[in-house]
Amino acid sequence: MMVILGALLLVGISVFLILQPIVAGREAPLWSSGEEPTEAQFRKRVSLLQLRDAEYEFAMGKLGETDYEMLRRELSAEALAAIREEEAEAEGRTSADYAEASADIEDEIAQVRIRLRGGSFCSECGHPNPGGSRFCAECGTPLRVPEPSGQGQA
Amino acid sequence: VTALGEFALWIALPISFWGMAMGFVGGRQGRGDLILSGERSVYVVFALLAIASLAITNAFLTDQFQYYYVANYSNRDLDTYFKLSGLWAGQRGSLVFWAVLLAFFASITVFQNRNKNREFMPYVVGVLQGILGFFLVVLLFAKVNPFQQLGFVPPDGAGLNPQLQNYWMTIHPPVLYLGFTAFAIPFSFAMASLMIGRTDSRWIVVTRRWTLVSWFFLTNGIIFGMRWAYEELGWGGYWFWDPVENASLLPWLTATAFLHSIMIQENRGMLKIWNMSLVLLTFLLTIFATFLTRSGLIESVHSFAQNTSIALVFLAFMGSIFIASVILIIYRLPGLRAENQIESFLSREAAFLFNNLVLLGAAFAVLWGTIFPLVSEAATGQPVAVGPPFFNRVNIPIGLILLALTGIGPVIAWRRATRRNLKRNFAIPVILGLVVVAVFLAMGARNGYALATFGISTFVLAIVATEFWKGTRARARIEGEGFGPALIHLIGRNRRRWGGYIVHVGVVLIFTAFAGSAFDVEVRKVLNPGETVTVASPFGHTYTLVYEGISSSVEENFDQWVALMSVQRNGERVGAMTTSRRFYRVNRQMVTEVGIRSTALEDLYVILADVEDFEGMVGNDPNAQRIVVQVMVNPLVGWIWYGGVIITIGALIALWPVAEARRRSAALEPAMAGGS
Repeated sequence: MMVILGALLLVGISVFLILQPIVAGREAPLWSSGEEPTEAQFRKRVSLLQLRDAEYEFAMGKLGETDYEMLRRELSAEALAAIREEEAEAEGRTSADYAEASADIEDEIAQVRIRLRGGSFCSECGHPNPGGSRFCAECGTPLRVPEPSGQGQA
Repeated sequence: VTALGEFALWIALPISFWGMAMGFVGGRQGRGDLILSGERSVYVVFALLAIASLAITNAFLTDQFQYYYVANYSNRDLDTYFKLSGLWAGQRGSLVFWAVLLAFFASITVFQNRNKNREFMPYVVGVLQGILGFFLVVLLFAKVNPFQQLGFVPPDGAGLNPQLQNYWMTIHPPVLYLGFTAFAIPFSFAMASLMIGRTDSRWIVVTRRWTLVSWFFLTNGIIFGMRWAYEELGWGGYWFWDPVENASLLPWLTATAFLHSIMIQENRGMLKIWNMSLVLLTFLLTIFATFLTRSGLIESVHSFAQNTSIALVFLAFMGSIFIASVILIIYRLPGLRAENQIESFLSREAAFLFNNLVLLGAAFAVLWGTIFPLVSEAATGQPVAVGPPFFNRVNIPIGLILLALTGIGPVIAWRRATRRNLKRNFAIPVILGLVVVAVFLAMGARNGYALATFGISTFVLAIVATEFWKGTRARARIEGEGFGPALIHLIGRNRRRWGGYIVHVGVVLIFTAFAGSAFDVEVRKVLNPGETVTVASPFGHTYTLVYEGISSSVEENFDQWVALMSVQRNGERVGAMTTSRRFYRVNRQMVTEVGIRSTALEDLYVILADVEDFEGMVGNDPNAQRIVVQVMVNPLVGWIWYGGVIITIGALIALWPVAEARRRSAALEPAMAGGS
């Protein structure tokens, strides 16, 4: 008797739980509500992270200088393209979305600053050079060695 | 309560198929109510399977021998500890256990993604419920119902196989099963991704943590299994290339390949078809392993199940999954084309690809050796056993290549590495490795494979140490930090990379331990009380064991004979150890319980091979104490377990949720926390 009651209870609860959404018209969200990266955002992240990696590998001596420069240029171009695309996507968004986007841009700026920490901009052409460079990788102008600073956080 | 368990299975069956239908139909038609119903059904099936599992455990604890399953895997005097693990002691319970773990992971997945990754979820639910439905069909219709009754109540059960009465056996299967079932989640996302036609790397990003969780459990499950074999099977080894061991190794090999190749896809947009194939292959192999372990199809030290009617059902399931997946992959082929090409042979992607091919080669060799007896039986009517010599001959060289790659991979840059830089980075580690080989040669070691292992291990350790040192130093300099904080921050910034390196160190230790077995020493001797046996360790010292005497006792579930030996190292007394034999009365089986004395470098391993006169001993006849012992010195064997601990630490570092990621929701977390 108890077993039959228990079994009926199990059936009842189970069927109620799975039928209730359909009968009462309760719906699961069809689309994600949180911020989910768009394809452009996704590509931007990948490029920026690869930049970070390339920088790390260069600093660790795994990547030659010419290769690093080439990679850096390619990756920067990829990231830039993704950012442009992302901006194009963002047009037509609400102002709340813009606040979010600007937070992202700040994030990018932070990334770039990290990348350039210890590096210097060329006084002639404005090209950012990695730390320790004595000549600009773009135009060959001798660079002034920046004063060593312990100012840590970017 | 136990009777409710069977009802729960019967209710779960239609509900899982309902959930599968709701997932697919709801996803296809964009009906939120159907999708919600499908998602709810996952929780419901989990609850029902949990009730069934508890019912089985309850039947074990209350000795309900009217159930075939309980009667065959337990008896009244069985330790409560082992009754609690009765759920996974045999085939029938294991299948329920498998299903409940999968339902548990599926529930977590549904809950985690209630607001995220919504376009995947209906199909993920559909796939997962399909798998659960299959297991329920097997349970209820393939003559393996764990609630099957005998029709009478035997006074006592037949007892659990004595070899399973070991504490490692209570954790080894669950951990392995956690690994098997967790892999269903990446598989379901991969299939969902194909169904909705989303061919980017999103499914990989979403499930990479699941992949790591699965790999982590698989690794530890295999190591626990080795530990069990080492302590319980009593022949001094831990790996026998037994079909069931191989079955657990196969998904590990392909999962390891997958773990590395997804990084290429995340970073470079390449290998999409390859990754789809690997996720499919690994999932099929987890099913294959479950099925092989519990089918008794191939003779094995583990074959604790003998029901071949289930084999066909499993093969049909694996076949249909395979065909459906391949059709999906072919259908989506245009979107799966690579976005980039490998630029240079000297690049990390090339190294990863090579690692993948080698792992797959190993998996193929192991699979072939495992099923060859079946193939040959089908072809010639004679099963041909494939033994350890075949597996060792094939897998030792493969293992050495993999070992070397654990050191080479991290040093090669993405896209293109420079030859000059490679030379600079490899020079010192290679020299160190050669020095170690020279030292071992000078000390008289002549085993080529072992020497190669020691050399390559040194090379890898030197590389990993250099990576940590350089990274820490660079960070300390740039940030002006002390070395301690610099190291912690360094790891924190890219936990996947550094966690991975730590895992590599664990792998090195394990390989070194394997090589150590080339120097095992073994002595067999007949002893009367007071007599000694001496064995020389390869590390130069000698152990002398004095046989002090033997005592017998009657325990709850077995009779026991315990021989006491005092141990001297180079003539100096360092302690005592026991080694014993047990006779399990209900099973009418004799097993040995080895004595193990572990140090960091070696194990002293004593097997009580024979007691000459059991009867005389019980009668306390002083002349009836003659025994045969087998004494082994197993160098470096403990490093397997240490390696396991290090792998665990590394995997946890890679897995641990980041505070930052929690803040900004996992969705925006970088695709690939920076390479490695």
